[in-house]
Amino acid sequence: MGVIGNWFKERLPVSGVELAELTNEPVPNHMRRWWWCLGGTPAYLFVVQIVTGILLAMYYQPAPETAFESVERITNEVNFGWYIRSVHKWAATLMIAAVVLHQMRVYFTAAYRKPREINWMIGMCLLLCTLLLGFTGYSLVFEQLSYWGVTVASNICDTVPVVGGTIKQMLLGGESYNENTISRFFILHAAVLPTLMVMLIALHIAILRLQGISELQFEDEPEEGPKHFDFFPDHLYTELIVGLVLMILLSTLATLYPAGIGTHADPLTTPEHIKPEWFFYPSFLWLKWFPGTVAVLSSGFIVFVMFIWPFIDAMIVKATKYKDFYVWVGIAGVLMLVGMTLWEALH
Amino acid sequence: MKLQTKRIVIGVLGIIFLASLVLVQALEVIKKKEEAGLAVTPVSVPVSSQGCVNCHGQALRTPGIVDHWKGSTHAVKGVGCVDCHKADKQDADAFMHEGVLIATVVTPKDCARCHKKEAEEFQHSHHAKAGNILASLDNFLAEKVEGYRDDEGGINFFNPHSPTPGRPEIIKVNGSASAFVGCRQCHGSKVGLMGKDGSKITFEELKPDENGRPTAREVVANIKKDKDGRPVLHPETWPNTGIGRLNLDGSRGSCSACHSRHDFSPRRARQPENCGKCHMGPDHPQKEIFEESKHGVAYRDLKEHLNLDAESWVLGKDYTQAPTCATCHMSGNSRNGGAITHDPGTRLSWTNRPPVSLVMDTTKDHKVVKTTDPAEREKLTYSTAMEKRGKMKDVCAHCHTPDYINSFYSQYDDFVVLFNEKFAKPGKAIMGELKKQGLITKIPFDEKIEYTWFYLWHHEGRRARHGASMMAPDYAHWHGMYEVSEHFYMELIPEAREIIEQARKQGKTKQADAVEKVIDEILSRKEHQWSPKFLDKGKGEKHASAAGVTPPKAPEKEKPAPKKESAPK
Amino acid sequence: MTSEAEKAESCPVDGNRSDGKDRRSFIARFSSLWMGLGLVSGYGYFASIILRFLYPSRQTNAKDKSWQFVTDLGSIKQGDSLTFISPAGEKAVITRMNMKGDASDFIALSSVCPHLGCQVHWEANKNRYFCPCHGGAFDPSGKATAGPPKAAGQSLPRFTLKVENNLLYIRAKTKSLV
Repeated sequence: MGVIGNWFKERLPVSGVELAELTNEPVPNHMRRWWWCLGGTPAYLFVVQIVTGILLAMYYQPAPETAFESVERITNEVNFGWYIRSVHKWAATLMIAAVVLHQMRVYFTAAYRKPREINWMIGMCLLLCTLLLGFTGYSLVFEQLSYWGVTVASNICDTVPVVGGTIKQMLLGGESYNENTISRFFILHAAVLPTLMVMLIALHIAILRLQGISELQFEDEPEEGPKHFDFFPDHLYTELIVGLVLMILLSTLATLYPAGIGTHADPLTTPEHIKPEWFFYPSFLWLKWFPGTVAVLSSGFIVFVMFIWPFIDAMIVKATKYKDFYVWVGIAGVLMLVGMTLWEALH
Repeated sequence: MKLQTKRIVIGVLGIIFLASLVLVQALEVIKKKEEAGLAVTPVSVPVSSQGCVNCHGQALRTPGIVDHWKGSTHAVKGVGCVDCHKADKQDADAFMHEGVLIATVVTPKDCARCHKKEAEEFQHSHHAKAGNILASLDNFLAEKVEGYRDDEGGINFFNPHSPTPGRPEIIKVNGSASAFVGCRQCHGSKVGLMGKDGSKITFEELKPDENGRPTAREVVANIKKDKDGRPVLHPETWPNTGIGRLNLDGSRGSCSACHSRHDFSPRRARQPENCGKCHMGPDHPQKEIFEESKHGVAYRDLKEHLNLDAESWVLGKDYTQAPTCATCHMSGNSRNGGAITHDPGTRLSWTNRPPVSLVMDTTKDHKVVKTTDPAEREKLTYSTAMEKRGKMKDVCAHCHTPDYINSFYSQYDDFVVLFNEKFAKPGKAIMGELKKQGLITKIPFDEKIEYTWFYLWHHEGRRARHGASMMAPDYAHWHGMYEVSEHFYMELIPEAREIIEQARKQGKTKQADAVEKVIDEILSRKEHQWSPKFLDKGKGEKHASAAGVTPPKAPEKEKPAPKKESAPK
Repeated sequence: MTSEAEKAESCPVDGNRSDGKDRRSFIARFSSLWMGLGLVSGYGYFASIILRFLYPSRQTNAKDKSWQFVTDLGSIKQGDSLTFISPAGEKAVITRMNMKGDASDFIALSSVCPHLGCQVHWEANKNRYFCPCHGGAFDPSGKATAGPPKAAGQSLPRFTLKVENNLLYIRAKTKSLV
C-alpha cells in the first residue's frame, strides 16, 4: 500500500487528504430535507444521457436514407436497444422537468440575488441547452414529427428580422431540409451541445463551490448546533439514493411506456395532428396566439427578461422597498406556463 | 436520516433497481422470442442478380417484379433474375443488358434446366398442345367471323372506314385482334420477333434445333433490333402467357400461365381462381361448375384451413378439408405417395372436349386412341382410361367410400353415354351428311345450322358433361342437357329439314333424300319417339315407305361411322 | 473513510454506548456490505445490459447461412470449375471431380487464406492457389503446399454442398433483405 501510494504521490503531487478536504465541502443543513436536494438530479440525468447517448450513437446512422431505418433497427433488433432508447428518451423528459423544478426552487428562494446573478445566467444557458438538446434529439429519429418539427422551427427562425434567414440557413445547411440537415443536427445533439453543457455545468458548480450554497433557515430547526454537515459520505449517500430512485423510475417508465417510432418522414405530407414534445407546448401555443414575428420576438424578449431577472429584481426592490415582489411575478409565470402546457395538452 | 439507515436504503433501492432490470430482461426475452417466431426465411439476392435488383427495385423502375420475386421460393433458394433470364448468344432473342446476356421471354426450356420432371410431364399434357388451336375451328371464328383475314396474302389488317374521333393516328385495324386478345391469351401465341422488313419471325422461320438455337441464320440476320440492340418482340404475340405458347426456341407452353411471374407462387397455382383465367365461361365453365359443387362450397368455407403454403401440399397429409382443381387433377395425395403431376390428363377417364366424348385410352405418345376396332385399340393403348380413373379414385377415396365413388362414376358414365348416343353422334351424323351431300358448304360458320350445332356440342354439350363430371346439377341439367335437347329438337332438326326442302326445290332430290334418310332413321329411334309431330315433316310428305321400314334398325348404331371424328375440333 | 465519518456522526447522537458497541459496529459493517451489494448488483446488471447492447445482435451466426442455388448438374462437367459469390460476399471456387451425380463429386473451396484472411487467387501456370499476403500456396484440392499455411498444416476452408433434384446447392452466408 505504502509503496504504491508513494509511487503515485511522486508522480501525482496531490494528496488524498487535500483532495478530500477540497471536495468535502460543508453542506448546509436544509439539504437534509429531501425536497431541497434535487439540484443534483439534472446532473445525474445528464450523466445517464451521456452514457445512453454514446451507446445509441454506436448504432445510429445520421443520414436521411438511413436514420429512420437505424432507429428502427435499434428499437427492434439490437439487444436491449428498445430499453436503452427508452431510457434515453425518458431521461430527457425527466431532465427537462428536473431543470425546470430546480430553477423554480432557486427562483422562489431568491437564491439568484447578489452575489449569485452570474450563476443564475449560467443556469439559464443550461436551460436553453437542455431544451435545444431535446429538440435536436427528437429531430434525429427522422419520423414525421422530426421532419415537420425541424421545418416549423427553422421557419420560426426565419421570421426573426434581419438575421433570421441566416440563422435558418446555418441551422439547416441549406434553404430547406436537405441531406446536410440531419448531420448538422446530429453533431449539435451529440457533440456541440453536450460539450457546451459539460463546460457550463463545471462552471455552474465551480461558482457554487466558490460562493457556497445559499443557506436556508427553517423555523422548526434549532438555532444552535452545527449548521452544516459533511458532503462525504452523508450527502453522497443522499445523491446515491436520488440516483437509484431515478434509475428505478427510468427503468419502470421504459418498460411501461417504451419509446415508440412513428412513420417515416414524408416531405410531401404534413400529418393532420402535429404537436411538439410537451416541453415546447407553451411556445407552440404562443405561436398559435400571435402572428409570426410578434410571437418570436416576444418569446425572445421573455427569455431575455428571465436572463437578466436578478438585476431587474434588484432594481424593483431598490425602487419599491418591497422584497417579495418577485414571488408574485414567479407565481404568475408558473401559473401561465402550467396553464399553457395543460391547455395544449388537453386540446 | 442516519448514515446507517441511508446505507440500508441505498442497498434496498439497488435491489429494486436490479428487480426493475430483471423485468427489462424478461421483456427483452419475450421480444426476441416474438421476433424469432416472426422471423421470415432469409432472402438474399444472388450476386449474379444484385445489379438487376438494385436497379429494377427502384421506385421509378419496376419494384413490383422485384418485390414479387422477394416473396418467392426462388429468392429463398438463391435463384435470381439471371438464372432464368440468361440466354445463349446464339438465341434469336438474346441481347446484352447491363453487361449480362439475357432474353425477355422465359420458356419451359429455361425452366426445365432445373424443373426437368415437371417440364416433361407438362410437354405430354393437353395443356402443352393448346397452341394447336391456331389452325382450328375456333380460330377461324375469331379471325374470319369476328375479325378479318385475307387467306391468300396472309394480310390481317384493313383500314378504318371512318376516323376515330380524338385518335386520328389510328389508320390500321388488326383484323386478328380478337384472336390475339381472346384465343391466344389462353391457348398461347406463336411468339414472334419483328423482322427488319416488317415480317413476323417465329420458330417456324427460325427452325430451332433441339437446343433451341435457330438454324436459319439468314432469318436471324433479319431480326429487327431497337437502339439498345434488343430484338423487338412482335406486339401481336407478346405479352402472352397462354398455356400452349409456341416459343422462339421451339418449346411449347408457358409455365407462368399457372405459376405467375415473378413469385411463381405454388399457393396461387393451387387455387381454383388460377385455373379460372381460362376454364370458365359458356363453353367450358369448369370454375363455375366447381363453385356450384359441394367441393367448391367447402373450399370457399374452409380455404384458410387448406394449408396452401405447405411445401408439398399432399392431400391427406397437409390438408383434407376440401379439394381444389389442383387437388384432383394434379397434386399429390397420401395414396399415391405424394406424386404430383404436371399433366392434368393423367387422371381423366373421359375427354369431354370433342363433340362426342372419348374414352381416355392413350398411346405411348400421350394421344387419345380414336379407333373403334377393339383389337387395334388394345394394340395402340399404352395407358388405359381405367388406369387413369384409378388414379382419380385414389383422390376421391380420401373422403368417399369405394361404393360411393363407383356409383358416382356409374352415374357419370351413363350421363356421358346418353349425351353421346342421343344427341352427339346423331347431330354429328346429320351435319356430316349435309356436308357430304353438298347441301352446306365446306366453309364453317357460313350457315345458321353450323352455329346451332356449334352451340349444341361446344357450349351446351360440354357444360352438361362437365357439370356431370364435377357434380354441378344445374350445369348438368338446365345449362346443359335441357339446352342441348331444346337446340336439337327445336333448331337443328327443323333447320336440317329446311335445307332439305330448299335442296328439293333446287332439284337436288337425291342429295335431299340421303340426308332425310339419316334424320328419319334417327328420329325413329326409341329415345326420340316422344318427339313433336312437326319434326316428322319429311316422313309425312314422302318416303313413308323408307321410314316405315327402317325403325327396327336400332342395333346399327353400334357402328356409327367413326371416321369423321376429325372434322370439327 | 466511511466508517470514520460514521463514528463521528453517530456517536454523539446515540447515547447508550456501553454494550451496544459490538452490535453497532456489526450493523455498521452489515449496512456497508448491504449498500455495496445493492449498488454493485443494480449498476452491475445495468452495465451487463450495456455490454449486451454493444454486442452485435445478428450476423456471424449459423442462422444467417442458408442453402443457395448454384447450378444444375447438367451444366458442369468433370474437371470444370466455377466461382460462386454468396450474397454476403464469400467467394467459393467449386470444382467437379467426379460424375457420380451427388455432392461428393464437388469440392467447394473458400478463397479466404486460413493464415490471416487474405484472398487467394488461382495461378493457372503454377497450378495452385496463391495468397499474396505472406506467400501461402495451395494445390487444387485446397491443401497447403508452401508458406505459413503449410507450416501450420492448414488447408483452404471448404463449403458444404448438397445435390437435390439434380441441382447443386451451397451452404453460405446470406444477407437477408427482410
